[in-house]
Amino acid sequence: MAKRTMQEATFLILTALAAGSQHGYGIIADVAKISDGRVRLRAGTLYSALDRLRLDGLISVDREEIVENRLRRYYRLTPEGGTQLATEAARFQSNAAAAFARLGLAGG
Amino acid sequence: MTDAADLERGYRRWLRWYPKSFRREHEAEILEVLMAGAREGQRQPEPMECLDLMRSALWMRLRPRVPRSNRSACNAVKLMYVGAVVELAAAIVILATIGDVRSNVVKRNPGLTEAQWHAVVAGQLEPTAVAACIAIGFWLWMAWSIGRGHRWARIVFALFFGLNTYGLLNGLAGGSAVYARPDLAIGIVLWLVELAAVALIFHVKFAVSQSGATPLTPGG
Repeated sequence: MAKRTMQEATFLILTALAAGSQHGYGIIADVAKISDGRVRLRAGTLYSALDRLRLDGLISVDREEIVENRLRRYYRLTPEGGTQLATEAARFQSNAAAAFARLGLAGG
Repeated sequence: MTDAADLERGYRRWLRWYPKSFRREHEAEILEVLMAGAREGQRQPEPMECLDLMRSALWMRLRPRVPRSNRSACNAVKLMYVGAVVELAAAIVILATIGDVRSNVVKRNPGLTEAQWHAVVAGQLEPTAVAACIAIGFWLWMAWSIGRGHRWARIVFALFFGLNTYGLLNGLAGGSAVYARPDLAIGIVLWLVELAAVALIFHVKFAVSQSGATPLTPGG
């Protein structure tokens, strides 16, 4: 059976964590940057996705900090999360290459 | 009261939509994110942010809590949804074929009085249709319970399966193979779905892999 395709928000969250651990607001800012401002995650959506990713073992908690009396929890990619992100990125790349080839454009 | 305190109080009210256990673990950090994203001097929560919190909170209450890698548990949840759909189909078939059952019964039992026929419908078919409608809710409840890793759901479902097996055999003894073939057919399909679900939820992989997420502790 074909594996379930990763949602764009999930892909971008994992991509944001690929360079190192980040806290919630850092992930939101990084996802906006990676997507050129196209994807703006809201807090509810972000924590719903983080909870699912943690449940699936793709991310884990790296550390916690208290900044100005507020909790900051940092998340990081697990090896399994890195593998899944790489697989998904390769799939996107392959699909994009096929699309560019059929359009007669140079590979993006 | 400062703007920030007002805003935080407002967001805390919206965060009450989340399950208690989730709030205990994540409320402080979600608040940190919400406050970090607030505009200067903002006193009230953003409506879109509130809608997003409400939507995520409801989803958090309903969605399965088993990891996607646990195929047997995920398939069991899916099968419960299939069961709900088949149960709905069964209720529709029973209600839609009452007339056919009546003509079959009348044809084979010409001496049947109106009162006797009414006893067949009111005493057997109508309760079965009502039970099928209740059972749709039961299937959905089982999907939720198994998705949440509640082990007792397996026992409850096994009892439900036993009860339905008895119902099917009772229907056969009552002549459903003669008078109500479509009802019998959908009943057998439903029973097969239940049998598959029982086999799946008692699968050993399901029993040992309900531990859920990695711990919420740094380095976990």
